[in-house]
Amino acid sequence: MDTEACRNDFIARSYVMATFELYRRSTIGMCLTETLDEMVQSGTLSPELAIQVLVQFDKSMTEALESQVKTKVTIKGHLHTYRFCDNVWTFILQDAMFKSEDRQENVSQVKIVACDSKLLTQ
Amino acid sequence: MATTTSGVYIHVIEDVVSKVREEFINNGGPGESVLSELQGIWETKMMQAGVLSGPIDRSLVQRPTPGGGPLTHDLNVPYEGTEEYETPTAEMLFPPTPLQTPLPGTADNSSLYNIPTGSSDYNTPGTENGSNADTESMLFIAATAFSMDKLNPRLDVNVAYEPERGNSNPQFTQDLFVPPSGKRKRDDSSAQYQNGGYIPQQDGARDAMPKANLDGNAFCITFVSDRKVPRDFTCSSSNIPQVDGPMPDAYDEMLSTPNIYSYQGPAEDFNDARTPAPNEIQTSTPVAVQNDIIEDDDDDELDDLESGEDMNTQHLVLAQFDKVTRTKSRWKCNLKNGIMHINDKDILFNKALGEFDF
Repeated sequence: MDTEACRNDFIARSYVMATFELYRRSTIGMCLTETLDEMVQSGTLSPELAIQVLVQFDKSMTEALESQVKTKVTIKGHLHTYRFCDNVWTFILQDAMFKSEDRQENVSQVKIVACDSKLLTQ
Repeated sequence: MATTTSGVYIHVIEDVVSKVREEFINNGGPGESVLSELQGIWETKMMQAGVLSGPIDRSLVQRPTPGGGPLTHDLNVPYEGTEEYETPTAEMLFPPTPLQTPLPGTADNSSLYNIPTGSSDYNTPGTENGSNADTESMLFIAATAFSMDKLNPRLDVNVAYEPERGNSNPQFTQDLFVPPSGKRKRDDSSAQYQNGGYIPQQDGARDAMPKANLDGNAFCITFVSDRKVPRDFTCSSSNIPQVDGPMPDAYDEMLSTPNIYSYQGPAEDFNDARTPAPNEIQTSTPVAVQNDIIEDDDDDELDDLESGEDMNTQHLVLAQFDKVTRTKSRWKCNLKNGIMHINDKDILFNKALGEFDF
């Protein structure tokens, strides 16, 4: 009984070992996606392998942001739109100001997409 | 530990590559070379996007050249002259780079200043100029710096030089192209080229300025450029295959199109008269193509925002949230592990505090 419960638990956990795919929309993610697309188109790479690379990218990027980056930023602005769907918050800010330790950036409009950090840690 | 954005990106690339290496090598994967190619192209794209700074030694070696060869700028110079590549001026103008530096051994025997005067030199079909063109072009520019008179008057820099190496980067070409002070005797030498047949030319968008004009019922787009392009190329309306979307109703077209459609003729005339170069279609026919797709002009404000949003061009923050709260119209959120792309810069953060007013 115990082993079966353990096995079921293991199976359940495997299914939820997803990755945050949102980082694929970043510059580095888009460059990788384009590269992989080109190589799959030309037949150099199989689509399955390309997806594996992307999944690995998700993991590596998440881990790098967690461990390699130490910057703290404050964001202020006028909230034009908010949306919460599928555990993803999407904000559209106007006249936003981003301040970090050494610099400040102002933008007229910015979109913020945020996934629930608790989804990854099981 | 990497602290700059570029450093973090490099770390991520290395990490991804090393972790998928096993998949590439084992189980009948494509192999290490494909993995290296993947890494090379990825890094190249990132450098082109401006998010990866500084040369990475290994990627400099592996970086594929867009032109597919040493030819990065062809300046339509047909003459061969490379042996005396020792003029300081040429080097000052164009310092040799790994991509551009010609090897003395690849040159033909004629020297720089022995500019050929015979017509036979111009009739060479571009084949000999394969690896010499960059040398010749650089030297040509050096020569022009000295004096135009010394040049062979029959030398026509405006005639396209056949790119045999696939698409030589037209943008690169454009930057380095130094037109001679006078368009001398273009007809003379162009005739020589045309004797041998039409030389195909593939130009990028910068080579030609589209000029649109309305001629009665015909809407004509011609491309005016410094290069001499045979007239039939720009003006032919029936040689360029063009596939358009479904023919719009004349009535709908008048209603929903902007002023560019101010003529009275039926839609067919429009399509026949339009003669953009194939690679210019995007710039000249966006309205016609999208006309059928975008039927509702009264977009919501939000739709405007969303339809105008393109992943790459707008400012974007991708992150995880720890907590999002609201008190009346005051929103607060705790974000973490984010990538921001704002003002054409990539900024990474570990933690972010947001305060928004709705």
